[in-house]
Amino acid sequence: MRLPSQNESITSDLNCAIEPHLSALAPLRNSELLVTGGTGFVGSWVAEAVAYLNDHHSFETRLTLQSPRASQFARRHPHLGRRPEFQLQDIDVRNLLELPRQAAWVIHAAASPDARQHASDPTRIIETIVSGTSALLKAAVRSSDIRRILNVSSGLVYGAQPLQLERVPETYFGSLDPSSFTAAYAESKRLAETLCASYGSQYRLPISTARMFAFVGPYQMLDRPWAVNNFVRDAIQGSNLRIHGDGLTVRSYMYPADMATWLLVMLVRGQDGSAYNVGHPDGVTLLSLAEKIAGMRPKEIRIQTDVLREARSIRSRFVPDVAKAGRELGLSARFDLDTSIRRMMDWATSEAC
Amino acid sequence: MPDILISDPTLRDGNHAVQHQLNAHQIAAYCMAADRAGIPVVEVGHGNGLGASSMQVGESAIDDATMLRAAREHLVSSKLAVHVIPGFATIKRDLALAIDLGVDVFRIGCHCTEADITQRHISHCRQMGKEVYGVLMMSHMASPSLLRDEALKMQSYGAEAVVIMDSAGTYLPDQVTERISELVDRLGVPIGFHAHNNLGMAIANSLAAVKAGAQIVDGTARGFGAGAGNAQLEVLVAVLHRLGIDTGIDLYGVLDAADLAEREIIPKLPTINSVSVVSGLAGVFSGFSTHVSRISTEYQVDPRDLFFELGRRGVVAGQEDVIIEVAIQLQRSKR
Repeated sequence: MRLPSQNESITSDLNCAIEPHLSALAPLRNSELLVTGGTGFVGSWVAEAVAYLNDHHSFETRLTLQSPRASQFARRHPHLGRRPEFQLQDIDVRNLLELPRQAAWVIHAAASPDARQHASDPTRIIETIVSGTSALLKAAVRSSDIRRILNVSSGLVYGAQPLQLERVPETYFGSLDPSSFTAAYAESKRLAETLCASYGSQYRLPISTARMFAFVGPYQMLDRPWAVNNFVRDAIQGSNLRIHGDGLTVRSYMYPADMATWLLVMLVRGQDGSAYNVGHPDGVTLLSLAEKIAGMRPKEIRIQTDVLREARSIRSRFVPDVAKAGRELGLSARFDLDTSIRRMMDWATSEAC
Repeated sequence: MPDILISDPTLRDGNHAVQHQLNAHQIAAYCMAADRAGIPVVEVGHGNGLGASSMQVGESAIDDATMLRAAREHLVSSKLAVHVIPGFATIKRDLALAIDLGVDVFRIGCHCTEADITQRHISHCRQMGKEVYGVLMMSHMASPSLLRDEALKMQSYGAEAVVIMDSAGTYLPDQVTERISELVDRLGVPIGFHAHNNLGMAIANSLAAVKAGAQIVDGTARGFGAGAGNAQLEVLVAVLHRLGIDTGIDLYGVLDAADLAEREIIPKLPTINSVSVVSGLAGVFSGFSTHVSRISTEYQVDPRDLFFELGRRGVVAGQEDVIIEVAIQLQRSKR
C-alpha cells in the first residue's frame, strides 16, 4: 500500500533546518530511536524529522513512538504511523519495564504541558513526570545499548523570569513557590532533571536535558490555552483578538522544524549532564504578536487590550538565552516568527477542512 | 475605558425574586434603558442561569431563547451576558444556543470548591472566541486559600476574569478584603465581586472589594435579586462616582433605568426581612428565600429555624429539594 506523503512545506522546512547538521546527525544512521510521549507535539515533529532523514538522506533510522494511546496516531497521521520503520506502542511510561531491543537513543518527552490538566489533576502530572522518568531511567540502566537519553524538560523550571532579565540562561536557577498546586508541573520537571543527574552520576547513564520554551507551527492544537494558539484560532474565526493586561507580556516562539532539529542534535551531540534551552531568542510582546496575526488575515480584525483602564500589571517574560546551544552545538533558529505563524495558520486551516 | 467594570444581573438574579417569571416585554424594556445608560454588561436569564428552568429550581415564564432574543435585540452598546452552571447548562444544547443568539460574555459558575467542573464549558466558550469569566458561588464556604486555588484552576482553563459571589449575603467588609486581596495578589486576570444584601452590607462589601483591587462589580437595579437582593446598582454607581472612580455609566441614565425597573419589572422591592437576616447569618444561598418561606408555611415550622438548620447542613444552590426534608424533620421534632 502506498503511504500518504509528507506535507510539502514540512519537508522543505525540515530540509532548511536539518541540512546544516546532517553530518552531526550521522550517528543516528541505521540505529533505533525511542520517543516516550511520542505522539504529542514534540514526538510528532521528531517523527517528521526522522521520516525526512530516512526518505531524503537514507538514514534508515528506526523509530518507536510510545504513549498510552499511540495506536490512534496512525489514524490521525497515516504518513507517519504506517511507515514500516516506525513502531507505535501503547505504553504508559509509568509502567515501562524495558526499552525496545536495540534502542540506542531515547527522547523522553512524556507529560502534557497543558496548564488545564495541571490544574485539574496535579497529582497525576507529578506522577507521570516523576514516576515516568524514574521508570524510564531504571529500564535504561538495564539496557546495554543506550548511547544517550535526552530528557525533555521545560523552561518553566526557572520559575518566573525577572522582567529585567532579557533572556534566561541555563545557569539561572530561578525561584518557584513549591507550596501551590500550580507548581506541580515545574517542580516535577525540576525533580525529573535531578533524577536524570542522579542516574547519570550513580549509573553513568549518558543523559542531556532540553528545556523547552514556546513554539508555533503545525501540530499545535488551537484549543490549547496559550496566547498564540488563541490568537490564531480567533483570527481564523474572524473574531477580535483579546489580550489580558496591557499587551506588554513578552514571549518568543520557535518554529518546530528548528525544534526537532535541535532535539536530534542535542541527542547525538549533547554533553552528558548538560542542559540546553530550546526556543527562539527573539522576544515579542503579545500586542505585537496579535497585530502580526491580525495583519495576516484578509478581513479586518480588531485587537482588544484589557477592558479596564487601571489593569494591574500582569506582564511576564519567557525568552530563552540560547547562546550555549549555539556555542557548543552550532545550533541557531532558522525560521522567523512571520513564517512560523503563517505555517501554523495554513496547518490549522487545512486540518479544519 | 472605565476604572471599574459594572456588570448588571438585574434580569438574571432578579428572576429569582419573581420565581423566574420575567417576560420578554420586561427584558426588552430594561435592556433598552440599560443600554442607554451605558451599562457595560447586562446579564439575562433564569435565576440559576442557562438551561436551569425546571421543576426543582423553578420554571421560567419564557424559554432561554426568547429571553436572549429579547435582550439581544435591545442591547446595542452593552454586552449581553449569561450565567452558566455546568450541569444545568450543557455545551451542545445550551451554550451552542447562546452563542448562536449572540451572547457576548459567558459567566461560568460553580460551587466555590468545584472549579474542576467548569473546565469544559470555559474551554468551549474560549474556543468559540467568546469572553469568559469564572464565577465561584457561595464563596464564604471556602477559606481564602482554597478560594485562591479554585480561582487559579479557572484561570488555567482560560477564564479571563474570576468573580466571587457572596451568594448568602453573609460577608462583612473585612472578609471581602481578605479574599479579594488574596485573589488579586495571586491571579493574573481581573477579579470581580457579586454581593447580596442580607446583612445590609452589599454596597459596603462591594466598596471593600474595589478597594482591595476588584475590577468587576455586580449591581442590580433597586437591588432586585435573590433574597434581600444585591448591591443596588444606581447607589453603587453613585458611590463610585463620588469616590472619583469611573464606571463609564451615565448617572441619570442608570437612575432612569432603576426607576423603569421599579415601575415595569419589580413587583415588590427587595427588603431585608427577618428571614433574609437569618439567611445571611446562616450562610444559606439567598435564592432559597422564596422556597423557605413557602415550605415553612406549608409545614408550619419557623423559617428562621429552617434556615439555621440548612446552614448547619451546608446546603448549596441546586439542593432546594433538601428544604422539604429539613422542614419535615423540624416538624417532627416539634411534635
